Amino acid sequence: MHIAVCLCQVPDTSSVISFVEGALDLSMVNEVMNPFDEYALEEAVRQKERFECSVVTLFSVAPPSAREMLRKALAMGGDRALLLTVTEPLDPFQTALLLSRAITDYYGETLPDLVFCGKHSTDFQSGQVPLMLAELLGMESVSAIIKLEASRESMLVEREIEGGIETLDVHYPALFSVEKGLNVPRKTTIKAVMEARKKPIDLLPLTSSESPYVTITGIKSLVRAKKCRFLPDTKELVRLLSHEHALF
Amino acid sequence: MNTFLVFLEQREGVVKKASIDLWNRVQELAASNPGAAMSALLAGPADMRQLDGRLFGTGVLYHANEEGFRLYNPQQYAKLVAESLKRAGATTLFFADTALSRDLAPRLSVRLKASLLSGCTVDDAWVDGGGCRRPVYSGSAIASFVAERPLKMYTTTPRASSLSTTTSQASMTVELLEPCFTGEELFPLVRRLAMHKGVQDVAEAKIIVAGGRGMGSAEGFSLLEELAGLLGGCVGASRPVVDEGWRSHAEQIGQTGKTVAPALYLACAISGAPQHLAAIGSAGIVVAINRDPHASIFDVADYGIVGDVHLVLPKLIEELQEFLKKR
Repeated sequence: MHIAVCLCQVPDTSSVISFVEGALDLSMVNEVMNPFDEYALEEAVRQKERFECSVVTLFSVAPPSAREMLRKALAMGGDRALLLTVTEPLDPFQTALLLSRAITDYYGETLPDLVFCGKHSTDFQSGQVPLMLAELLGMESVSAIIKLEASRESMLVEREIEGGIETLDVHYPALFSVEKGLNVPRKTTIKAVMEARKKPIDLLPLTSSESPYVTITGIKSLVRAKKCRFLPDTKELVRLLSHEHALF
Repeated sequence: MNTFLVFLEQREGVVKKASIDLWNRVQELAASNPGAAMSALLAGPADMRQLDGRLFGTGVLYHANEEGFRLYNPQQYAKLVAESLKRAGATTLFFADTALSRDLAPRLSVRLKASLLSGCTVDDAWVDGGGCRRPVYSGSAIASFVAERPLKMYTTTPRASSLSTTTSQASMTVELLEPCFTGEELFPLVRRLAMHKGVQDVAEAKIIVAGGRGMGSAEGFSLLEELAGLLGGCVGASRPVVDEGWRSHAEQIGQTGKTVAPALYLACAISGAPQHLAAIGSAGIVVAINRDPHASIFDVADYGIVGDVHLVLPKLIEELQEFLKKR
C-alpha cells in the first residue's frame, strides 16, 4: 500500500510571537511539526504496520530548514521524504497545487492509496490545503476524522460534526485530514532516530506557477482591550447580568 | 452589482441557527452595499415553516428538497452549490463556519477558482471589496487577507448572538429547484448520523459556562453543569481539561477545539492561554472567576471575581436560584 503524508512546520505553542516596530518577527520562534500532522503521520504508520509491504512517503512544502522536522517524522515511521523547498510564502491553493504535482510526479500514473494530512496548521488554521489537494488529485476525502477502520477493500471513518458524529464509507484511494483524538502519536526511540538518519530526504526546489487566490496584506499584534470591572461578590454579578444586560 | 448567496445548512431537517444568523448578518451587509441582491440555498428536505419570521429582508431562496440531499455528500453538494451559484448569478458565497463547510468549501474553491477565506466574521468580510481580518498565530496576531479572485467564498464564525427576539417582516421568494440529485452513489457516503440527543452544541450555545484545570477534577464540573442547567446554557472546557480526560473534545473551546460566540461566557478557573482567548474573541459579555488576579483571562473579561471557584460558584448558584425563584 502506498501512503503519502503531508507535513508542515508551525511555531511551537510555547513560542512568543513578537513584533518589532509593528512588524511580525518570527526570528525567536522555534519551528516544529504541526501538531495535527503528528496525528496524520501516526495514523499513516499504523496503516503501514497493518498492511504488509506498505511505504510511507512524506511530502512537505517548506523552507530548507524543515529537514530537521522531516528527520523526526522519519524516526516516527516515515520511509522517505520529499522536501519541496520554496522561497516565498504560498497561499493554501498554491501549496495544494505544489503538493499535487509532487505527488503525481512521484507516484506516476497511479495515485497513492492513502493520503493523510493534519486537520489544519495551528498558525493560520485555514484547513484548506488537504481538501484542495483532494480535489486537485481527484480523490475521495473526509476532513477531521476521529476514527478509521480500514480493510484492504474499503474504509469506515467517523468525524465529529456539531452536536453529533457522522460515519462514512470510503473507497481507495482516499485522502483524510485528521482531528485530534484519532490516535496518540508514538514517542521516537533512540534506535528509530538512528535509523532515520539513513532514510533519504530529497530536496526539490520549486516555484509556484499560479497566482495566489488569497494574499495576506498585513499582520498586526492583536491587542485585546477590555476593561475588566472587578466585583466584590456574586450578588452584584447576578444583578448586572440580569438587569443591565438582560441575559436571563 | 453584487449578488450574495448564503448557504443554509440543515441536519435532520432542522436549519442550523448559525445559518439563519448568517443570513441576517449578510442581509445587513447587503443593505450597506447599494445594488446588492440576496439569495440563499437550502440543501435537503426541510419544513419551510421553521423559517417563518426568522429570516429578515428580501431575497430568493433556492430549495433543493430532494431526499438525496438530506445527508451531506461532498460530491453531490459541490455540484449543487456550483449550479445554484450560476443560477443566482452570485459573486460571493457565504457559509456558516461548520464541519460541513470546512469540508466542502476548499473543494469548491479549487473547482470554481474562487478565493476562500475561512473563519472570518461577517463584520470583517467585505473589507475593501473582498477580504477579511482574523486572528492567527494562536490569537497573538491579527492578519488581513485579500481575496484575489472575482468569485469569493467565506466560511464565517458567529458574532455574539443577541438574545433579543425582535423580528422584522421578511419577504422571501422560495423557488424549488428542479431535481438535480444524481442517483449514482458518490463516495464518501454518509452511512450514519448519530446526534447527541438533548445536548446543545457548545458552538451554538447562547450561554457557556466553561471550566479550566482549576476546577480540580472531572467531579468539579458538576458545579458547572448545575450552573449551566440554571442558565439554560452549555458546559465548555479548556484544553488541559480535555487532555486530562475530564471532559470530551466536543466541549473544548480553543485553537484545537471550537470557536464560540455566546452572549454570555463565564470562564471559571481558566487562566486564559492565547489559544483559548482567540476562540472567545466574539463572545458578548465575558465573566471571569479566578484565584489569580493577574490571570490573562481578566484582560478580556467585562466582569471579574477574584476567588476560588469552589467557594464562589456555590454562592453564585445559590444567588441565581433565589433570583430565578423570585421572578
